[in-house]
Amino acid sequence: MFVLITGGSGSGKSEYAESRAVALSKETGLPLYYIATMKPFGEEGRKRVERHQRLRAGKGFLTIERCLNLKELKLPGRGVILLECLSNLAANEMFEAEGAGEHTPEEVLLGIRKIRAGGGHLIAVTNDIFSDGILYDETTERYQRFLSRINRMLAEEADEVAEVVCGIPLTLKK
Amino acid sequence: MILITGGAFQGKKAYAAETFSLDESMTADGENCSWEDIYKARGIFHFHEYIRHSLEEGRELKTLAEDLFRKNPEAVIVVNELGSGVVPIDAFDRDYRETVGRICCELAKYADEVHRVVCGIGTVIKHG
Repeated sequence: MFVLITGGSGSGKSEYAESRAVALSKETGLPLYYIATMKPFGEEGRKRVERHQRLRAGKGFLTIERCLNLKELKLPGRGVILLECLSNLAANEMFEAEGAGEHTPEEVLLGIRKIRAGGGHLIAVTNDIFSDGILYDETTERYQRFLSRINRMLAEEADEVAEVVCGIPLTLKK
Repeated sequence: MILITGGAFQGKKAYAAETFSLDESMTADGENCSWEDIYKARGIFHFHEYIRHSLEEGRELKTLAEDLFRKNPEAVIVVNELGSGVVPIDAFDRDYRETVGRICCELAKYADEVHRVVCGIGTVIKHG
C-alpha cells in the first residue's frame, strides 16, 4: 500500500500520516520506520524536529535520517515506512552541493520506487506550496515546479491520496 | 461550534452569514475587535487576524482554542486557510502561518462541523 498525503503548513498532515502508519503497522504486524529528511537549520529547525519527535515518541518508530539519495537507503527489512517529507527531500536534492540538482524529480521518484520495491507499506508526506499566488524568483519557481512534478507522478502511482485540512483528511484518490 | 475555513476571498463570510443566519450585530471581526469580543459574539470573522494581532502583542495562545470552545461553544468561526504556500522568508510570517494552522486543527477537533469554502461554495468536511 502506498499512501500520499498532502496539505499546507500546520494542516495536521503529519499527525494524520502517523496515525495511518501506526494503524497499518498494527494491522500487518510490520515494524514502523520513520525516514526523516529534514536538515535542522538553527533554533527554529531544531524546535521543529523536536516537535515531530515528541509527536512520534512512544509510538514505536525507528527513525532513520536520510536527507539525500533515497535510492541508496537500506532498511532493516519490510515495514510500514513513514517518509516525511518530500518537500524537504526535494529541496535538499536541489540545493545541496552533493544533491541531484536538475535531476531532482527523477532522483526522488527513483528513491520512492526503490523503497516500494522492498515490500511493506509506504506513507509519504508532501506539501502544498502552490496556492499563495506570489511570483517567486526563478530558483524558487523551479523548486515549486519540481515538487509539483514529484507530487503528480507519485499521486499517479499511489493507492490513496489524501489532502489534510485542519487535521481532517479529504480523500482525493482511493 | 462551527469552523469555516478556505482561502482568502472565497466568500466565506457571506456563506457563514447565510448558512448560520448571522447578522452584523452578532459578529466580531478579528481585524479590530477587542480580545474579549470573540468570547461573546455568535460569529467571528477574520479569526486569523485576531491570531496575528495576538502574536504581534506577544499574547499567549496555547489555550486559545480551548478557551474559545469553553466560553463560546456556539460560535461560528471564519478563518483563512493560509498554509499552502512557499515557506516565508520572514520568521514572524512563518510563525504566524504555522500558529494559525495549529489552532485551526485544534478548533476543528472541538467543532461540531467544519466547512470549507471554495468559490463561495461550502463543503462540509466534518459532520456533526
